[in-house]
Amino acid sequence: MIPMREQLLRFVDELRGAGVRISVAETLDAMRAVAAAGFERGPMREALAASLIKDEADRPIFDRTYAQFFGRSRATEPRLPERRSGARASSGGAPHSAAGLAVRPVPEPEPSMQKPGRKPPAQKAGQTGEHDEPRAEAEAESAGIEGEGEHQAATGTEGIRMAGLAAVERAPFEQYSDFDYETARDSLAILVRRLRVRVGRRLRMARRGRVDFRRTIRAAIQHGGALIDLRFRARRPRHVDLLILADISGSVRYAATLMLELVAGVHESFRRVHSFVFIDHLAEAGFEHGHLVMTPALDPYARSDFGRVLSELREQHGELLGPATLVIIMGDGRNNRRPARADMLADIAHRCRAVYWLNPEAPARWGTGDSAINQYARHVTALVPSQTLRELEHALLEVV
Amino acid sequence: MDITPQNVSEGLRHAAYITNQRVETAIFLALALDKPLLIEGPAGSGKTEVAKVIAAMLATELIRLQCYEGLDEARALYEWNYQKQLLRLQADEHRGLRWEDVSEHLFSRDYLLERPLLRAILAPRRVVLLIDEVDKADEEFEAFLLELLSDFQVSIPELGTIAARERPCVVLTSNRARELSEALRRRCLHLFIDFPSTEQERRIIELKVPELDALLAEQAARLVGALRKAGLKKAPSIAETLDWARALVRLGVRELDTPAVRSTLGLLLKHEDDRAKIESKVASLIPHPRSR
Repeated sequence: MIPMREQLLRFVDELRGAGVRISVAETLDAMRAVAAAGFERGPMREALAASLIKDEADRPIFDRTYAQFFGRSRATEPRLPERRSGARASSGGAPHSAAGLAVRPVPEPEPSMQKPGRKPPAQKAGQTGEHDEPRAEAEAESAGIEGEGEHQAATGTEGIRMAGLAAVERAPFEQYSDFDYETARDSLAILVRRLRVRVGRRLRMARRGRVDFRRTIRAAIQHGGALIDLRFRARRPRHVDLLILADISGSVRYAATLMLELVAGVHESFRRVHSFVFIDHLAEAGFEHGHLVMTPALDPYARSDFGRVLSELREQHGELLGPATLVIIMGDGRNNRRPARADMLADIAHRCRAVYWLNPEAPARWGTGDSAINQYARHVTALVPSQTLRELEHALLEVV
Repeated sequence: MDITPQNVSEGLRHAAYITNQRVETAIFLALALDKPLLIEGPAGSGKTEVAKVIAAMLATELIRLQCYEGLDEARALYEWNYQKQLLRLQADEHRGLRWEDVSEHLFSRDYLLERPLLRAILAPRRVVLLIDEVDKADEEFEAFLLELLSDFQVSIPELGTIAARERPCVVLTSNRARELSEALRRRCLHLFIDFPSTEQERRIIELKVPELDALLAEQAARLVGALRKAGLKKAPSIAETLDWARALVRLGVRELDTPAVRSTLGLLLKHEDDRAKIESKVASLIPHPRSR
């Protein structure tokens, strides 16, 4: 029989293969944890989980891998080796010896092996009264693993939500289903809070500017009165107006609405926030009870026209474009071969503090087909990829 | 107390903490392997309670460090009591002492303000150190914490290096206001505490509010479970469930009907939006009593 240590190493390999990041130190921890907690099914599983899984989003992967790995090998590894060899003897030419099963934890293609609850063929052959007892026990044990997993899944509502969010955060907007969108919206509050904390913190954690005399003196006392540590006054809220321009045509609709909602969450960091959405025309956007409201309504079947929208912005809302204005444009720049009017963007950029363009499209496709993004890119402060919710969060953090 | 799974399980029961295998094993390992335990989970699922229960189980002191933005070493570890030092200096002034004479006194333990982390290190016996809401602290502080958690010693330039006599049992909680660093996660055992199942919650209610009728307790647990699945801004916590159960007792509610629930809804739902959303649906949410 292969020692437990070896089995655990293989189990860690399996988890890594399934995409969980596990360090060497954590592997050692897991071994110590199992040694302390014992090999009983429940404690051992939780000991491994506590030392290897550091993010609840990875827990479903763990549960699955555990059931596949230990569910089978433990079920075929009863404490009574002589009975097991008896089963092997009577089964004759069965493909796997029972002892072999115990040491081969890698998933095997044979369907009957994948379901821990089902009997391995090696045991099926040697059915005598004597063998029934331990086998029933082993089966109950492995069935229990699955059953328990289901039970936990049914109760852990928050755990499921977090796992859902973790998956959605990394999925490209372009592949969103309506369900993904709902999941993302569900967890938007978490992202907004995160963003608000980070933006707010950055404003407060001043590293230059006016010295806060009182706090500096107070810090100096710890160094015997030497003014080593300068402390600064918190920065005042910046005089920045935010102007958002988001394309809500079919292909990038999810990215745009999620961004608008995210930005709405941090509006207090700015003096004013103006949100616009567009397809082929410009419309003002706002949120009422979590729903996007636009005036005037846009034709959802229209096709994007960035050129026209940029000139509309410049002509109708020229007063909003000033040196304090930070412009964020969200769109893929697919202009349906209409005039790009990059000169309009150049003029806007010239008048404003900065123009950032967030592109939800995969960078590999930028500038292909009817994409005018390269023409626009020349005039913006930065063109930031925002393919996923996570990227969008980072992009906003960089920009605002 | 010997740290064995049985003893921990026993101790938890003794401390009137109803839990599951997951939590039990994690607590046992944190104690047995001397590793910090990082607890995550929705607000109000009993994360902080774990630290209190461990302290009660070990019959030891709980030292709590509440993290917040801008928390620094001075507030978390130690600080010189400069007001007191100034007074001392002023008192010494007319005696014509040299700086060398004075400074020796000024930087002694008498003038040291011990903050939670230093208190945990100086404690004569094993204490439980709760670092609450570590996600609220800045990244710099987290890095500092990492260093401290690995060897539990501090050097105070004026006093020298102080090492913990007994490593404290460390519990960290996080609400994910910000992602914690991988390094911190790697060093800790991880425990995710979700809201309890209906059955667990019923047992918690029966244990903490024994005056409540068993059938009502069961219904209450199911109603709260349903509320948590209703997609609210803020799901009711266990503490709120217990408050509500106590309110039902005080109001002499015999039957969980629509008026009874409606008039006490404020104890469970603390957001106006949530209230508006649920108020109209109360009748459909009340579970039928299950005879047991």
